[in-house]
Amino acid sequence: MSEAPRSASGSASGESENVAATSREAFAAWVDDAMEGRTFAQVLIRRLETGYEMRHTDDLDAENLETSDDPRLAREISRLTEAGEHRPLKSAPNLRRGWILRVADAREMAVAMNYLYPAAVVHWHLEREGKLEITSYRENAARQSGIYKRVQRLSDEGVHNAAQACCEDAVCLKRTLWDVDGETPLAMDRGNGEIPCPEPCSLFVSFARRVRLFEREERERDAAGLTPSEREDLASLVAARASGKMKMAREAEFEEPLNERRLRYRLLTLAPKLRPGE
Amino acid sequence: MRALVIVGHGSHLNGDSSLPVYEHAARIRETREFDEVVECFWKEEPSMRHVLDTVESDDICVVPAFISEGYFTQQVIPRELGLDGPVTEKGGMTVRYAGPLGTFGQMEGVILERTEDLMRGKKKRPGRTALVLLGHGTDLNKSSSGVIYLNAERIREHSLFDLVAEAFLDQAPEVGEVVAGVEAENVILIPVFIAEGWHTRETIPEDLGLTGEVTEREDRTIFYGAPVGTHPSMADLIAARARDTYRTGDQAPGTAGCEDEVVRSAS
Repeated sequence: MSEAPRSASGSASGESENVAATSREAFAAWVDDAMEGRTFAQVLIRRLETGYEMRHTDDLDAENLETSDDPRLAREISRLTEAGEHRPLKSAPNLRRGWILRVADAREMAVAMNYLYPAAVVHWHLEREGKLEITSYRENAARQSGIYKRVQRLSDEGVHNAAQACCEDAVCLKRTLWDVDGETPLAMDRGNGEIPCPEPCSLFVSFARRVRLFEREERERDAAGLTPSEREDLASLVAARASGKMKMAREAEFEEPLNERRLRYRLLTLAPKLRPGE
Repeated sequence: MRALVIVGHGSHLNGDSSLPVYEHAARIRETREFDEVVECFWKEEPSMRHVLDTVESDDICVVPAFISEGYFTQQVIPRELGLDGPVTEKGGMTVRYAGPLGTFGQMEGVILERTEDLMRGKKKRPGRTALVLLGHGTDLNKSSSGVIYLNAERIREHSLFDLVAEAFLDQAPEVGEVVAGVEAENVILIPVFIAEGWHTRETIPEDLGLTGEVTEREDRTIFYGAPVGTHPSMADLIAARARDTYRTGDQAPGTAGCEDEVVRSAS
């Protein structure tokens, strides 16, 4: 049952120090070292005379922010987008604005950060220590089961395209560290944010499944060279644009033509076919 | 230090799925029984894969917020957390793995509390009252229905209702037939689900033509409750599950708690 070693506790195995505790201390020291504060994805963290302050990076000079000293309020802050939509991926660049958390100490800061960016502080620390274990796409896919087992058959090209569509900074602020496998680096802009991404996340696996289903349509291309789902996406786009109501699907609604990551994938794979030579 | 890690399914699309896990965790945190109470999910963050890295305790109990034994509790959760049995030693931690919630002894109490909450202040018709426990059910796994049969049997022993029946979405007896056919003027339908979601909010009300908590039909009134898993008392059940797991920690799988035996025979 446990053939896949866990990244961090695997590397921390045999050490007496607890990785969560050392990460918390290292992160606080990193923040303490910068008078002007630190930017961590979309959060600005500053040392106060006592304790720490966190706010959205776009709220640096904002007024009338909702202020709290409860670190667990971070869960409520990170739950929904500005428009009230569920946020399944906390590192998506859609953290809502309008709040300030002023917490008592480094421990409370870690609690808040773990709700804003779950497990990010520990991954940040392990990477700096050279101890962050990376799991490639193929290793991750090998342990998938049930409806996700089919991601094992996704082509290398499919992985590259899926990662560009699903993981670049426009849609996820983590810095992608994993590759297709030991020999095949991911062809993408990995980003340069503070939070490392050591392994494909569940959202990516779900998207990879969708892309694998696209790949299976190859044999069904029509005379114009389009697959059934490509035709459907184009028709939906035209209809939505013509109606004047371009309502995008939810972040992880990959079955819907007007999903941002699905459209990003079409930009990579369909647009060049529609405009050859560009 | 002791940590309680609650594992929820979570959802990429719907915030209702993880909400009860967060709420139960907050309630348990307030009791200060555990040094840490941490949430993790299959479809949300933190993932099971990384949650143990965020825990500072060295003695950890993992409680799955799942109703019955099955694919998730037997395959996905142990695999993702790197567990190799009821007790796993790893990275200087002792990780104990509890069974799912539906078979635990306190579950019938939570179902009854949910029923009381639903019926408070509501007017029943003269005549008989049936309690219908609704499970998902699947022909692929008998544990899914076993939990429903087990709890129905336990509740029958209280003799609080004229009749206690079982019903399912994906196997027989099918919920529409049970609700229409059960011999009672008042039918209390309680979904034994862990969270609100597509089934509890959409498919069940649509398929049964429910108009809300109370639906009047010619021959009966149907009272439709919220899922058992969102009831505040589930927090006590989760904590008790962890307590029981610490107590019976080193026993072989399946023998930790006689209720797991009962569900096998009931199914």
